[in-house]
Amino acid sequence: MGTKRMLLVAMMVGLLLCTPLVAQAQREASGAGPVDIELWYGAAITEAGPPPEDWVGFQIIKDKLGINLKLTALPSNEADQDVKVSAAAAADNLPDIFMVRREVWLRLVNQGMLAPVDDLYAKMPTRTPLQYDADSIGFTTIDGVSYGLASPGSIPRNEGVLIRKDWLDKLGLKVPETLDDYMQVMKAFTFNDPDGNGKHDTYGYGAFIEINNFEEGLGRRMDPFFGAFGVAGTWNMTKADFGLNVRKGKYYDAMAFIKRMVDDGVIDPNWLAYKKDDFRAAWKQGRFGIMREQNAAFAATSNYAPFDKNFPDGEWIVADPPKGPEGKQAVGVYTSQYRVYAISDRVTAEKKDAIARLLDWMSSKEGYYLLGWGVEGVNYTLKDGIPVAAGVPDPELAFTGPKGQPYTQLRNMVFYNGEVELTSRYPTYKTATSGKEMSALRVLVDMQSRPWTAAIASDTLPPPSTDLKRFYEQGVTEFITGRRALNKANWDAWVAEFDKLGGKAWEEEARSVAAANGLLR
Amino acid sequence: MDASVSVPSSGKSLVRRIQRHRAIYVLLVIPITYFIIFKYIPIWNGQIAFKNFMPRQGVLGSAWIGFANFVEFFDSFYFWELLRNTVMYSVGKLLISIPLSIMLAIMLYECRITVLRKTVQTLAYLPHFLSWVIMYGILLGLLAPGDGLLNDIAKAFGGRGIDYLTNVQAFPWVVLLSDAWKEMGWGAIIFIAALMAIDPTLFEAAIVEGATAWQRVRYITLPSILPVIIMVVLLRLGTILSGGFNQLYMLYSPSVYSVGDIIDTWVFRGLQEGKFALATAVGLFKGLMGLLLLTFSNRMTRKVSGSSLY
Repeated sequence: MGTKRMLLVAMMVGLLLCTPLVAQAQREASGAGPVDIELWYGAAITEAGPPPEDWVGFQIIKDKLGINLKLTALPSNEADQDVKVSAAAAADNLPDIFMVRREVWLRLVNQGMLAPVDDLYAKMPTRTPLQYDADSIGFTTIDGVSYGLASPGSIPRNEGVLIRKDWLDKLGLKVPETLDDYMQVMKAFTFNDPDGNGKHDTYGYGAFIEINNFEEGLGRRMDPFFGAFGVAGTWNMTKADFGLNVRKGKYYDAMAFIKRMVDDGVIDPNWLAYKKDDFRAAWKQGRFGIMREQNAAFAATSNYAPFDKNFPDGEWIVADPPKGPEGKQAVGVYTSQYRVYAISDRVTAEKKDAIARLLDWMSSKEGYYLLGWGVEGVNYTLKDGIPVAAGVPDPELAFTGPKGQPYTQLRNMVFYNGEVELTSRYPTYKTATSGKEMSALRVLVDMQSRPWTAAIASDTLPPPSTDLKRFYEQGVTEFITGRRALNKANWDAWVAEFDKLGGKAWEEEARSVAAANGLLR
Repeated sequence: MDASVSVPSSGKSLVRRIQRHRAIYVLLVIPITYFIIFKYIPIWNGQIAFKNFMPRQGVLGSAWIGFANFVEFFDSFYFWELLRNTVMYSVGKLLISIPLSIMLAIMLYECRITVLRKTVQTLAYLPHFLSWVIMYGILLGLLAPGDGLLNDIAKAFGGRGIDYLTNVQAFPWVVLLSDAWKEMGWGAIIFIAALMAIDPTLFEAAIVEGATAWQRVRYITLPSILPVIIMVVLLRLGTILSGGFNQLYMLYSPSVYSVGDIIDTWVFRGLQEGKFALATAVGLFKGLMGLLLLTFSNRMTRKVSGSSLY
């Protein structure tokens, strides 16, 4: 009896395991019912959860478009995103449509794992004019075939140099303009007790290492100083002087200036150990008086609130980046920011059509507001045609509230940085403690008006090898920390070693790609 | 009377034994299934270590390239440094964490104040349950050069701040000691279990004979738990080329790459570039080295101490 019982249990387990497979096969064979589409998306709010199972969008998409949408959020960290997509590719198990960064996308194209999407543009009459133009299509076109849908990404030039105006006033200083001015102000912020608490607990500049393929070395937070020497970012994208900035003479001068900042103790000594959250906690605690920060991370309601509470009389202003010896200045480099969604070449023609229907609906008025802000009267109300959080019955369900945020996780698939979005996203408000009027939109406009260096498509150039990338990042950091003595002879020797390890070859390869694709200005 | 006994064939005997102990065999199905799915089937995919793996062509369809992936790893500009760092952290953790775990286990075992023992035990286990992300936040609070607790104390006594997390001299110690702090309590569990198995009459006899506490530890406790110590050390030797990815990935930064980059972090950066075949080759290399070390050490310890893992 015991053996029979065990056999029975084993059979039931086997049946249970097989049932979904059989059901799937039957559904596919009959062609009836909604089409399953698996979408891996980049979450709009990384700290909030995915749209809940009872999200009204699922039902609308099923009823109107005949699509059974399955959502998976990609990790918030770009490196982890790459690993997740690469792992799915290695298992030949890519989802139907997924967000992907350009380096990984390029590899997938070369491996023949992505479907051409040229035919989709015409199938999306509502979406295509809003989301795709010649530049964005060119961004995903290889040998005349487009392998991805590139939508407008994050807002370009949305960061700026910010200075504590209240500290300047207290110390009787003017807004700095040149590198020398900056150094004087940073010293005063460090040694003249700008917060007046009698302690040596403030610093001139705050930063952390934030690197990507077009902002290598010490990363974007130090770029205002490299910009003063005309060597911000990884690449110089001009015809006249194309190449890796780190191989240019002025890069050494910029390094020498930053080394002086470190040696003089005017930069927060924690900067090399900070992660992004630590850095952001630090400026809110009043540790430093100059930084490069993003507009919303600085001025959005919840982000500014802790600083406002800690320092009701505190005030940050946007300033021009430092002007270098030859009059050059730049907050940093900017490129075309695209968010690429690719389609697996495993999808059937039926699924591909369904994807086109889905994306086009997303950009329709119904989809745009539903994905962007949720349900009117529940997650937002309209004021002068702009969705606002005020006036909803349950403030927690407002699109800005903790319970409402999951409903807008797909908003980056429909936003295109239009006026409605920006006005809604960055409303003008009064701070809770000091009652100051703040507007992340005003800050954004101000930041965009400051000097920047264009490095369009520098993020599409080939990346370095793992070893070379490490050599680059480690080397510049070691010069700054003093592990390697920063003098011209040592620097030249290091650059020579960099070249020997593949730096020169990397530059030449990038030059060929840039020239072949007409990327040089 | 026929005195002969029929001897069942070994096949029948096995079936009979399975029938007799079927409940145990049913329980065994779960771990065996786990090992088959997650440990043995993937071995088949290990062949991509010798291939130019192209996902679309699959494991079988990708072209054989011999040892090219291994050569790429061995030819890495940083190969020796990666190997040195990995072994340094593995051996260092072995030398620091295991003795500390043994000491903690003995102290807890010897402690006669129940409240104190339980409190210390709980506090010692606690860090094991914290992720390295949380641990990094704690370490930054303790060790930051600007306002870390340790540096604040040093400055209060006229010393100068040390950038523990970004200084190549200090960083290895931060790694080793923070690992010891996090895992010491958890590692002590197995030794406490071994201590519980010691016959208490041995201690009673030793006390009657006038043995001091230290003498009891030296001549009874340590020899009694020696097989467990050997087992733990041998098992750790099998993973000697895994220096602790999670910890290093959280703690390191470009300024300490020279002492913080280990094989696994290097491979992870390669994975970001989609180098799965290279990662598999490195994994095979690590597994092979672990197997060799484990086998060799097992034989050596059997020869020297008479105790071994198998």
